[in-house]
Amino acid sequence: MSFLAPFFLLGALAVGLPIFLHLIRRSARDQVPFSSLLFLQPTPPRVTKRSRLEHLLLLLLRCLIICLLALGFARPFVQRATLADPAAARGAKVILLLDRSASMRRAGVWPAALARARAALAETGPGDQVAVYTFDDEVRAFLSFDEWAALPADQRGPVLSKRLDSLQPGWGATHLGHALTRAAEAFSDADRRQPNAGQHRLVLVSDLQEGARLDGLQGYDWPKGVTVRVEAVRANKPTNAGLQWLPETADAPAAGADPGLRVRVSNSANSARESFQIHWDGVAAALPQDVYVPPGQSRVVPAPKLPPNVTAERLVLTGDDDDFDNTVYVLPPQAEQVAVTYLGDEPATDPGQPLYYFQRAFQATRRRTVTVTAHSAAAPLSAAELAATRLVMVAAPLPEASVATLRDFATNGGTVCFLLRTNATAATLAALAGVPDVAVTDQAPTSYAMFGTIAFDHPLFASLADSRFNDFTKIHFWKYRRLDPAQLPGARVLAKYDNGDPAFLELARGHGRLLVLTSGWQPADSQLALSSKFVPLLYAILELAGGLHGQVTQGVTGEPIDLAGALPAGAGAAAGLVVTRPDGGTVTLAAGQTQFAGTEQPGLYSVAAPGAPLVRFAVNLAAGESRTAPLPVEELARLGVPLQAAAPAPQEQAARQRRLHDNELESQQKLWRWLTLAALVVLLLETLLAGRATLTAPVQLEGKV
Amino acid sequence: MSTAPANAPAPAPAAPPGARGLIDPVTLMSIRNLEMRARVVVEGFWHGLHRSPYHGFSVEFSEYREYSPGDDTRYLDWRLYARSDRYYIKKFEDETNLRCHLLVDNSRSMTYGSVGYTKSQYANTLAATLAYFLHQQGDAVGLLTFDEAIRDYLPARHRPGHLRHIMLKLERPADGTSTSLAAPLARIVRTVTKRALLVLISDLLAPLDTLEKDLTTLAACGHEIVVFHVLDPAELTFNFGPAVTFKDVESGREIYVDPAAARAGYLEKLRAHNTAVEAACKKLGVGYRLLASDQPLELALFDFLRERMTRGKLVKRRLA
Repeated sequence: MSFLAPFFLLGALAVGLPIFLHLIRRSARDQVPFSSLLFLQPTPPRVTKRSRLEHLLLLLLRCLIICLLALGFARPFVQRATLADPAAARGAKVILLLDRSASMRRAGVWPAALARARAALAETGPGDQVAVYTFDDEVRAFLSFDEWAALPADQRGPVLSKRLDSLQPGWGATHLGHALTRAAEAFSDADRRQPNAGQHRLVLVSDLQEGARLDGLQGYDWPKGVTVRVEAVRANKPTNAGLQWLPETADAPAAGADPGLRVRVSNSANSARESFQIHWDGVAAALPQDVYVPPGQSRVVPAPKLPPNVTAERLVLTGDDDDFDNTVYVLPPQAEQVAVTYLGDEPATDPGQPLYYFQRAFQATRRRTVTVTAHSAAAPLSAAELAATRLVMVAAPLPEASVATLRDFATNGGTVCFLLRTNATAATLAALAGVPDVAVTDQAPTSYAMFGTIAFDHPLFASLADSRFNDFTKIHFWKYRRLDPAQLPGARVLAKYDNGDPAFLELARGHGRLLVLTSGWQPADSQLALSSKFVPLLYAILELAGGLHGQVTQGVTGEPIDLAGALPAGAGAAAGLVVTRPDGGTVTLAAGQTQFAGTEQPGLYSVAAPGAPLVRFAVNLAAGESRTAPLPVEELARLGVPLQAAAPAPQEQAARQRRLHDNELESQQKLWRWLTLAALVVLLLETLLAGRATLTAPVQLEGKV
Repeated sequence: MSTAPANAPAPAPAAPPGARGLIDPVTLMSIRNLEMRARVVVEGFWHGLHRSPYHGFSVEFSEYREYSPGDDTRYLDWRLYARSDRYYIKKFEDETNLRCHLLVDNSRSMTYGSVGYTKSQYANTLAATLAYFLHQQGDAVGLLTFDEAIRDYLPARHRPGHLRHIMLKLERPADGTSTSLAAPLARIVRTVTKRALLVLISDLLAPLDTLEKDLTTLAACGHEIVVFHVLDPAELTFNFGPAVTFKDVESGREIYVDPAAARAGYLEKLRAHNTAVEAACKKLGVGYRLLASDQPLELALFDFLRERMTRGKLVKRRLA
């Protein structure tokens, strides 16, 4: 017989208590009433001789109760062999989750990770099912359960080891939360296909960096039975600093106040050094710049100045131990050149003419420079002159040749905005619209006219649809030309005066459009040029014409990038975009596709589209990859990850196994219940005997009354 | 009780030689009727009639006394004033011979007894004997029984049926808890304004300082006091057997005592207590008589009468 808690047997020593009480109680049992204890002093109790012990049976029963209780508390059980763990016999499902994010490129990390992975695979038994997944910001199946099952049992180890040799860390960010939940779901999927009640072990091999994303773990309902073992690998040297490019935002200052290129230098929390340098790669003339960043902090600093007329695209940080995140690819900002043609005969300096306001409406910024080219209306207009422009403003009658050129321009996708300043321009409008004649009459309202109805659903006015900006009542029109929209088949009236006459019309012409404003914006005709709505309206026309497009400057490795904004409208629609990677390889996207997902490596990418200029963009590492300080494993436990305790020493493990075995035997036999029951029975017997002895004992109430 | 326990006290010593021919208390106590017991004891004591030495304001004139300020003017003899032009107070012989108040302790400690009856039964019989004796003499007798408070009180009277009331009150069993003389003596002081004879029957098992203070208060009122200190023979000898747990019948407190070891100390403390009580009584002019509850009651009656006679002579001498 063995005991689970043998120290409780010491409780049996308490049998001395009833024996002692029996020795001293004999004399003190009789009670004599007395008139007053005023003159009496208590006598210390004296222990009688052992030979005079009374009620031996009661004493034995009391001692037996104590012994039975002590025995029961010691949790006795009979040693015998138990069956092997049925769960262990069924085999376990093991998923090896291998981190191959960019931070695994640090010195010594990747070989250690592969060694840990191999060791974890070596621990698996022949009945186990194994799958290997790699992850950075995405999770990829390196070896599925099915592939493992398909391999011969004796070939699994060598094949997997060979495949691991070919594996290299990537450049992606670490999304650990996503990887863990995907692995847990892989267990569930495998159980659905082949259910069993074996163990589910998830072995995570990672550098557990501080910058790993853990979103998705909080509140995740882990499948029952899954345990996670973390095999954290550490870099040989702790110091690591990272470099990130901070491109200009949309609210960058105007041209002329160039702040230069700015970068952020971040130092990991466990770094041993604080001083670093940044310099332009390949530009010896540019002096390196010192940067002081305490561990765990970051600094935003301007990039070193480049010599005049020298360009560089690689900024490099030095001074730390690992260089995987020390290079950042930058593209100098390039202003977008937009050309607009104005056809009219008035001088540009006359404030009473539309051109004066038109030229001043487009202010140059660091992102964009709009150039207004004034062209005489009488002069012949060639198609070559309109090659670079997307918008032509017509404010005067044009000769027939110019009208034909403009018609072609509009048909090919250009936008012509026609100012109906005088009745004389009606013939030009009719020619542009492709109708025989357009009747136009001058209108001069008694007081003034206003915009009465506006199609805010049209892109021209959509930006002004908000209630804060849609008040057009302060724009008064003194004169305008009345035009019956029925004369322009297919025209849509975008705005009407308050008397119902059309003010703004749109007429589709081939791929392009013709916009007609029935009044001028100069002060003689209206207050439009002097209103706050004038500049937004012109930019809306320019954007509608396709003259404006955004810029794609920087992407993050592993994340898809949308190229639509960086290319002219319609680019890539007919033929696919061709993306050239930094290593020289090309990727041709499907026709109409503008999402590029192959940003697997940092560097400068270029996109070529038929009929569009070459677009370049930079792809850099995610900022989180530079935060390489170790993440505490407790953080995973806090987020509810069912972590497995660290593997104990062999002796301790054997002792634990033995304790578990004993526990199981004891819980099966439960001898303590029988002992407790026996103690209760003996207690009952003792109570009966004691009661009987009390009843039969002589009782003296008071003297000899 | 058929058999005595192993730890019962040893038998008390026999009655004193002078007490031969007297009634054995055990025999006396076998008479259930209390009045009958008293009558048996009083039998043959009719010669003890005595005259009251006290003067009172009664019908029978005793003497004149010159008026002094503070005297009640109701008793001025105006005729004598008319004749002699002097104020004289008339003094009368008290019609009632004696006003006696019996103060009987009925506390729980009096319920102890080792001779077949309790101290309370013995004390009640003694009180009944005195009451019967005095009543037969024509004296007024009152009764006050007490424990920690006053249980019953009957004023001193001499009228038909009063003795019967006293007997009924004395037959009530004792059920008090502790002994406290303060409350009954305060009541006597408050209600008995005339000088009277007070007979206190108690085991006086109370702290000595409070006992002496209470007796002093009573004696200061001018009353004549006789104390019968009743104790059980077991209390006087402490002849218990083996060690047992003694339980205080008043407080319920229990202590383990080996009588063989504790006897000497107990007797020493009891003797000191009794000596102190007797000395206090002597100092206050209080008659004191220690009675073991196995002593014949006639001895107590003899002592009472002797005390009365002695005191009567002293008073007469003082008056003469």
